[in-house]
Amino acid sequence: MIAMVLRRLAVLPIVLLAIYTLTLALAWAAPGNPLDRPEGRRPPRAVIEAMQKQYNLDSFPRFYVSYLESASGVRWVRDRLAGPVDPGRPVFDLGPSLQYEDRRVNEILADSLPVSMTLGASAILLATFIGVGAGVIGALRPGSWAGGVSLALAMVGISLPSFVTGAVLILIFGVWLGWLPVGGWGTLGQLVLPAVTLSLPFAAYIARLTRMGMIEQLSSDHVRAARAKGLPEHTVVLRHALGNAMLPVVSYLGPATAYAMTGSFVVERVFRVPGLGEHFVNSVLNKDLFLLMGAALTFSVMLVLFNLAVDVLYRWIDPRISDDRA
Amino acid sequence: MPRVLAPIVLLIVAVVASVWSDRPLPRADLVIVERAEVNTVDPHQASWNQDLRVARALFEGLLAEDTTSADQRLLPAVARAMPEVSSDGRVYTFLLRPGLKWSDGSPLTARDFVYAWRRGMLPETAADYSNMFMHIRGAELFAARRAEALAKFAADPAATDRSSRAEELWREALADFEANVGVRAVDDLTLRVELDSPLPHFPSFVAFPALFPLCEASLSRYESLDPRTGRRVWSNAWARPGVLVGNGPYRLTLWRFKRDMRLERNEHYRDASLPRSPTLSILNIADANSMVLAFRTGAVDWTTDVAVPYRAEMLDRRREFWNEQAARVAELSRNGLSPAAIASALPPDPRNTIHAFPSFGTSFLNLNCSPLLPNGRPNPLADAKVRRALAMALNKREITEQIRRIGEPAAGSLVPPGSLAGYTPPAGLPYDPERARRELAEAGYPGGAGFPPMEFLFRRDGGQDLLAQAIARQWERKLGIRVLLLQVESRVFGERLKSAKYMVSTASWFGDYGDATTFLDISLSGSNNNDRKYQNPRYDELLARAAGLADPAERAAALSEAERMLVETDLPLIPLFHFVQVYLFDPTRLEGLSEHPRQIHTLARLKRREPAP
Repeated sequence: MIAMVLRRLAVLPIVLLAIYTLTLALAWAAPGNPLDRPEGRRPPRAVIEAMQKQYNLDSFPRFYVSYLESASGVRWVRDRLAGPVDPGRPVFDLGPSLQYEDRRVNEILADSLPVSMTLGASAILLATFIGVGAGVIGALRPGSWAGGVSLALAMVGISLPSFVTGAVLILIFGVWLGWLPVGGWGTLGQLVLPAVTLSLPFAAYIARLTRMGMIEQLSSDHVRAARAKGLPEHTVVLRHALGNAMLPVVSYLGPATAYAMTGSFVVERVFRVPGLGEHFVNSVLNKDLFLLMGAALTFSVMLVLFNLAVDVLYRWIDPRISDDRA
Repeated sequence: MPRVLAPIVLLIVAVVASVWSDRPLPRADLVIVERAEVNTVDPHQASWNQDLRVARALFEGLLAEDTTSADQRLLPAVARAMPEVSSDGRVYTFLLRPGLKWSDGSPLTARDFVYAWRRGMLPETAADYSNMFMHIRGAELFAARRAEALAKFAADPAATDRSSRAEELWREALADFEANVGVRAVDDLTLRVELDSPLPHFPSFVAFPALFPLCEASLSRYESLDPRTGRRVWSNAWARPGVLVGNGPYRLTLWRFKRDMRLERNEHYRDASLPRSPTLSILNIADANSMVLAFRTGAVDWTTDVAVPYRAEMLDRRREFWNEQAARVAELSRNGLSPAAIASALPPDPRNTIHAFPSFGTSFLNLNCSPLLPNGRPNPLADAKVRRALAMALNKREITEQIRRIGEPAAGSLVPPGSLAGYTPPAGLPYDPERARRELAEAGYPGGAGFPPMEFLFRRDGGQDLLAQAIARQWERKLGIRVLLLQVESRVFGERLKSAKYMVSTASWFGDYGDATTFLDISLSGSNNNDRKYQNPRYDELLARAAGLADPAERAAALSEAERMLVETDLPLIPLFHFVQVYLFDPTRLEGLSEHPRQIHTLARLKRREPAP
């Protein structure tokens, strides 16, 4: 297993380099000058040119190499070897933000990533409970009202966009009932509505996976054998059927957690959550190259790491799975 | 099963711990909402409204706009009195109040202004408003020489000892500034400024954040020379909460990105009666619905903008309330109260929480005046007759009443009437489709025949699509011109305007300082902001002549004549309407909001009144 982890970690830089190259090439090719104001006053021409030079925005190869050096930590290592460096300087420097002039991308990520991760983790937890519960009920009682509710939940979660579910939840629980705050961040109460909203699409997908897995498992030979042994029904369902039906869910949870934890543009906007999600969209619109690359690289790292974590978890839950399946 | 539960329990613990570690602060004395995040607290970089408001709370200039009355005066702030001006109008002497302190308790002297202004002029600072310094004697040459030296330094790959060479260049720049730029701290309390030529509205610049002082002792700890480019760089760590040293009524105690900013009373501020709210919280809410909802739940005292979909309907409901209160309104206005004062004298009502104030901005259309279009064909808009026809064919009232629906006045001029004391803008061209068709025929396109399809460029955001469609329809119906609507991303929009790759586009302009030139300079032949590529030597000459006139009335007349060229004869742009600023606040609760015609607000004067028991 350690060999598998090391192998995956060794591939990480190559994956990141490929993503970096592709994303930067696309972002660079997009029209518009990042230093230009869409409307309103323009700084003098000389000022724009000086800034372009400073940020290497006048040459793709120069920007590519220079950003790679500072983001990968190569520049820090080189400067460290040459002499002492400022202790406050980060090893992996993702550069300044072109839009938010007082901020560096590292600071923006350090502020917003923990928020998105907390929200994402809560959403995934909720999604797992709701999804697995709904899936099991749906599989066990296909015609009943409980089965109908679980199916409806799955349909709503998949088909309604979160700006609708979010607004409806705010209206019901925030404005009409007044039970929960309508937005903001920092209290447990403020976490509930965005976490529920964010969890619904994931819950719906997990419910479908669980339901399909359960139906398949319940008609399989080993479950029939367990029933024939005279085991109580809940033991049959929980231990023999659900255990196996959960495997596709666990493998879905890897990328799902990475998606949920890197933030959602819509949910964060609707509930005023100061997370990472909005930077994925706004940095592209603003052509804020540094922030765009920072967000893309962060997401890639998390995606790779969570997939790895899921594979480790897989083996831990079910030790029979061997390394060569990695 | 316990193996499955373990990671889940771990995740729950992590979530709870994370939420626990981030405890919310108690509600501030005053909470305001900005739709856009504050971009910077550096007065040299501030250019958006929200940035300027914060800059005015954390710093203070020699002079300040009087926001307690509507008569647009400037008041001495850091200066003890209004400056002494030499008889030729070129030398300003400012005397500072004695005993002034920065927020860290250190003394504030005239040298802090010299330091700040030098930073503002340096090309490497790339200050948005560096132009405001360029009227100071020698400033333009100083900036040019420094830019040239840096360009040479950057282009020279052979230089080995770059650090000491950069150091040498910096010393040269300092000496150059000392010898040739007309800003001098005569002593701790006297600042003398020499201009190239008389500039009657220079005091208005001095009251603008770009010319505020910076604490040299604090900032110099964060500046260094970049050996690669030779530039002087300021690490942005100087502008952090707890580090930033200012001289305004507030100091910055917290700034959480995309979340909130918290300001607290600066104990060293010169006027102990300010700020009126000891703690102030600025929330950033970008979502249109959330913003209105946050206000309705009472969590917020003032929102500085209201999303477009809400405005018209909310204003309609307010009108309904005012109609119910008609008798009281009439009585109050007989007593000479302004609309804002009347609003706060009416009984509390949720319908009376939206307010539209005239602002110092105008929406207009850019008309590309270049002789050739980007595709190389002749540009029909190069003919002023065509441009006048387009202007007169537009029914602007229909646009403001049916599309915008928030009571914005239709505009004939660029400068909003009544926004500047002593300046009367021209009336502009009337709505006259008959004359418009005649002018178009004279230009060689009777009934629109032979007129190439006209590209109308507008931005994706900002609700410009309805506006563009309405205008296009009017031109098609009244002039017989075919209009192609072209909607693009903001950044693409900016780039196409700059390179004049368009025929007609939407545009807007907000004035920065209290003088008509803030609107008129953008049409000078050499202006960076002349997106219309309008070139008329007579216009440039008129503005140059106005700059030399010492008599305010004569000068205003010359500027008005120049503006008349823009909006009555040459029409490089068609004014559409003057913006109003829409706010949400309860007028019976919030006091101290300014009635300044340019919507300059002093955050330190705002206070929330507790409801009467």
